[in-house]
Amino acid sequence: MKILCVCGLGQGSSLILRMNVENVLRGMGVQADVEHTDVSSASSTKADYIVTNRELAESLTNASAKIIIVNNYFDVEEIKKALKENLS
Amino acid sequence: MEVIKWIADNVFGTPAILLGFIVLLGLLLQKKTLSQVISGTFKAVIGFLIISAGANVIIGSLGVFEPLWKEVFGLKAQKLSGFLGQDKFNAEFGSAVTLAMTLGFLINVLLARFTKLKYIYLTGHMMFWTTTIFAGIIVHEAGDVPYWKLVAVLSVIMGLYWTVQPALTQPFMRKITGNDNIALGHTSASVSLLAAILGKYLGNKENDSEKIKLPKGLEFLRDSNVITALTMGALFVIGAAIVLFKDTPGARELVASAGNQNFIVYAIVQSFTFAGGIAVVLMGVRMFIGEIVPAFNGIATKLVPGAKPALDCPIVYPYAPNAVILGFVGAFAGALLWLVVLGNTVAYVFVPTMIVLFFHGATAGVFGNATGGVRGALIGGFITSTVVAWGQFIMVRYLISSTIPDTAMWAADSDMFIIGPLIKLLAGVLF
Repeated sequence: MKILCVCGLGQGSSLILRMNVENVLRGMGVQADVEHTDVSSASSTKADYIVTNRELAESLTNASAKIIIVNNYFDVEEIKKALKENLS
Repeated sequence: MEVIKWIADNVFGTPAILLGFIVLLGLLLQKKTLSQVISGTFKAVIGFLIISAGANVIIGSLGVFEPLWKEVFGLKAQKLSGFLGQDKFNAEFGSAVTLAMTLGFLINVLLARFTKLKYIYLTGHMMFWTTTIFAGIIVHEAGDVPYWKLVAVLSVIMGLYWTVQPALTQPFMRKITGNDNIALGHTSASVSLLAAILGKYLGNKENDSEKIKLPKGLEFLRDSNVITALTMGALFVIGAAIVLFKDTPGARELVASAGNQNFIVYAIVQSFTFAGGIAVVLMGVRMFIGEIVPAFNGIATKLVPGAKPALDCPIVYPYAPNAVILGFVGAFAGALLWLVVLGNTVAYVFVPTMIVLFFHGATAGVFGNATGGVRGALIGGFITSTVVAWGQFIMVRYLISSTIPDTAMWAADSDMFIIGPLIKLLAGVLF
């Protein structure tokens, strides 16, 4: 399973999101390949899921990946809830 | 003896290899699987080498931008030359920079553990750029510096900066976020603090930016590739158009340099090349920081539980999204003003990098709005453009001209510009 964490520039915020997602997945016992990138590159990167905020999700409507919305990249509870609800 | 010299040349002297070892150690400490250790280490090293490749693309197009606008302002045309450049600087000093980042991070952790300043700086890409720029200033000032002395001095400077800066912005962060859980770890701290202070005296706190309605449909501005290409495209085309109408020998020479291609088309391609170069560098930084920061974070959480993470500036944007736009507008308008002023007064061609102007202007906008409403946000943006424009001029011409002015032109920003002269002073004293 490949998960892409996306922010505007792909430098700081998406990396923090990625680290938090990796921690949550470890807690859930789920194995996944988690990467981070910017919204520009994300639309051409293959992935099963994309985690990003509501605003950037609007630019990613063409992506084949399933979009998971997380608005606060360091709210671990929000990330946990979003991943539990959306990962099959 | 020979073993030590071999290690000195091939490990510590070769930044890509040293970086590989640091990341390898970090991955092993995190108890990653063998496949993760291999892929992580390789990605970090490749990412670092990609930065140099991208930097050369940027220099190529800046080498057209600068003479173009020098001709527009009627200044003596000088080819961008006489400096090391990011590529060669990385090759020679990259390992000192990487080692200083690591040791500086450890100093940050120690300071967080043993003082009241419980902040861990986790904005990896800014750690890289700030350390690189400061190294560039030191080498420009002091010339041939001993490796270990450079690493030691840089580590202490960075460790102190990464611990103290989040503490300085925290009072305003508490106001903006309504809690004390996260801190700001970003080089926009200086202009943000200025914005907050000026907002208090010159702004109107009651007129909060979030009460007004701003037009939608500006989503494409979110894409940094698009906005960089757009602004640079506009500047290149305007510059090219002016030069085409000028009939000076300098102008004719510039037009001839485009060969068979129409000069305007040539200029457009150059502006997109600039944006492309930045995209490449950012990808390289993303890859290598993506491996280093999780390792750093793992160490920090073990040694300083309960420390506050100091994070990238977009963390404040959701709290005042209109202030973000106002701050950027203020910065953009100010940048155009200063571009013309700097060209006509001190004969410097300012490179208005949208990335810096957006992120710093936006953060300053949020801080300015917190104390001074709409006026505070706009003032914050304008202050940002002032610091960035004049700061870039001073740094490129006086502080870093023989080492990495190419990097300073697009990647150096607020805190680096403000602290830069202090670094130059320290370099003069210590080396």
